[in-house]
Amino acid sequence: MRAMRRLAALLLLALALALPGRLAKAEARACGAPEEELAAAPLPGASAAIARGTLRIMVVGSASTAGGGTSGPEAVWPARMQAVLAARLAPVAVEARVFGARGTTAADHAGLLAAEAPRFRPHLVIWQLGTVEAARGLPPEEMSDTVQEAAAQLRAGRGDRTDLLLMDMQFSRFFRANANVEAYRDQLRFAAAASGAQLFSRWAIMHHWAETGRLDLERATRAERQTVVNELHDCLARALVAFILEGIQREGRIR
Amino acid sequence: MPGTVASLVRPGRDLRVDFLRGLALWFIFIDHTPGNLLGLLTLRNVAFCDATEGFVLLAGYASGVAYGRMLERTGWLHAAARVTGRAFTLYVAHIFLFVAFTAQVGYSAALLDQAAYLDELALDPFGQEPYRALLEALLLRYQPAFLDILPLYIVVLLLFAFALPLLARPRLLLAGSVTLYVAARWAGLEPPSWRSTGWFFNPFAWQLLFAIGAVLARAEPGGLARRFRWSKWLAVLAALGLAGVAMLLNAVWHGAARGWEPPEWLAAWLADVDKAGLHPARLASILVLTWLIAHLLPAGARFLQGRLAAPFVLMGQQSLAVFCAGIFLSFLGRLALEASAAPPAQLLVNLVGLASLVLVGVVSAWYSGDSARRREPGPASADLPAGQGTSRP
Repeated sequence: MRAMRRLAALLLLALALALPGRLAKAEARACGAPEEELAAAPLPGASAAIARGTLRIMVVGSASTAGGGTSGPEAVWPARMQAVLAARLAPVAVEARVFGARGTTAADHAGLLAAEAPRFRPHLVIWQLGTVEAARGLPPEEMSDTVQEAAAQLRAGRGDRTDLLLMDMQFSRFFRANANVEAYRDQLRFAAAASGAQLFSRWAIMHHWAETGRLDLERATRAERQTVVNELHDCLARALVAFILEGIQREGRIR
Repeated sequence: MPGTVASLVRPGRDLRVDFLRGLALWFIFIDHTPGNLLGLLTLRNVAFCDATEGFVLLAGYASGVAYGRMLERTGWLHAAARVTGRAFTLYVAHIFLFVAFTAQVGYSAALLDQAAYLDELALDPFGQEPYRALLEALLLRYQPAFLDILPLYIVVLLLFAFALPLLARPRLLLAGSVTLYVAARWAGLEPPSWRSTGWFFNPFAWQLLFAIGAVLARAEPGGLARRFRWSKWLAVLAALGLAGVAMLLNAVWHGAARGWEPPEWLAAWLADVDKAGLHPARLASILVLTWLIAHLLPAGARFLQGRLAAPFVLMGQQSLAVFCAGIFLSFLGRLALEASAAPPAQLLVNLVGLASLVLVGVVSAWYSGDSARRREPGPASADLPAGQGTSRP
């Protein structure tokens, strides 16, 4: 029985590692997101989970995790990510749970992580933050301290079994013009590097889409807006999946 | 045009100070128009400190020169009244800029017409509590993004009005200033803010840079040069240090995407170098830079009297007008870059921006020079030692 389970685990891992050929098509899959933004470092927690057949993903964040102007709950990026990832990793079971709400700050998220992570035991935490801090002008260093403390606590409780992925703000010309976004982005880079986490730069990817005209929410007419928001969330999910798969693959190569 | 600009430059002062101040004002304009490609070339990309540190230090220097003399001639009460008057002028300018900023954000938001999106950004406390927001802005307890330098300057000037008599006792002035800095950094002393977001620049910490500038201005140049003697080895060390910091910062910011993982302790330390409380690393960075420039750029350098430097020297001499105009112009620059950030728009924003700043400097110099002559007929400022008579903070 045990031998069979081990065999199944090996098969699953082999399946996950057989992705390189498919990854070559990242361009199409991730809606043309820039390659350098999808370059992930190894993800040991998620890889080990896939080998065991169940991947639990915990998403914490503010408004964009909880609706964000999409047509419905199934169109929001965490739900799309779960669907795309499950399809890509089948037969691995992918469970994603969202703990987010509009207007929540990094401190709120840290509280959620402390309370829910021990119960949910995620293998991958995707922490979307920075928007509310930058919009309200909250101290950037405090945000970074909060992340570092929460990451340390997560590591103390879960060790290498949980990978942490930070996600920064949505790109917006209006936001860039009227809030000091760069200070917060710099600080998020520091925070990720200081807490052994990785940064998935939604800002840089959306900036690229906006500049190339691929997906530009702020230039969409009122009639198109719903469609564009849905597509944006879908594309973000696909870029995120490409990032996660790359992290899993690189972990496999190290082994 | 350059000829006109050069003719408006007030001669006889330390042109280095004016030139660097003008440069800092230009950098501040650039850093206040996010999306501006020139923003990649300013100091903040390669050093702990940025143009703000330079601006405050040199404001302290200019204030030390101008009010120090005034203090000797007319006494504390009069000089303090002048400093306070200056602070009030800055306050009025700040409120004007606040109104302009609010109008600009409101206009952009209306143009964008994306309720759900804006709601998340919550950039508009005016929409939620207009009367409260106005009151908090008047009390300087609410400062929108990019409108944070003037409140700092105002509070620092008011502190300076009290500290004026200590200009004659630089050690005491610095001791008091360091004490306040320590209280701000380690005891959390800070002016109150709405929604307890804290001030973007804590004036109780930043006053130290201003005080250092004022003390440097009052020091006898020869003594200063002896105390901070030039040493080739020290200079090489300083330059290496600055270059090292530039590399470290960029490695941690951009290394992860290129497969280099910085050590966690290093990133954690860099994350703690805060701007609000003028982290000692930022302070050291600007002071080292100042020492290097003071020695490497001689006061009589020919280039400072040249055509290329003249616009910046002029801007530095007319700093208040140019600063306020720069903040105002940055609103317009933002609107333009919001509409398009393509190369033609970049070129337009930067050319028009810089030309307008220089123009403001020209008009201000022409106007104030004119009024000064009317006020002081005959051999103007004959009683003032050369080079300091017309310095203004």
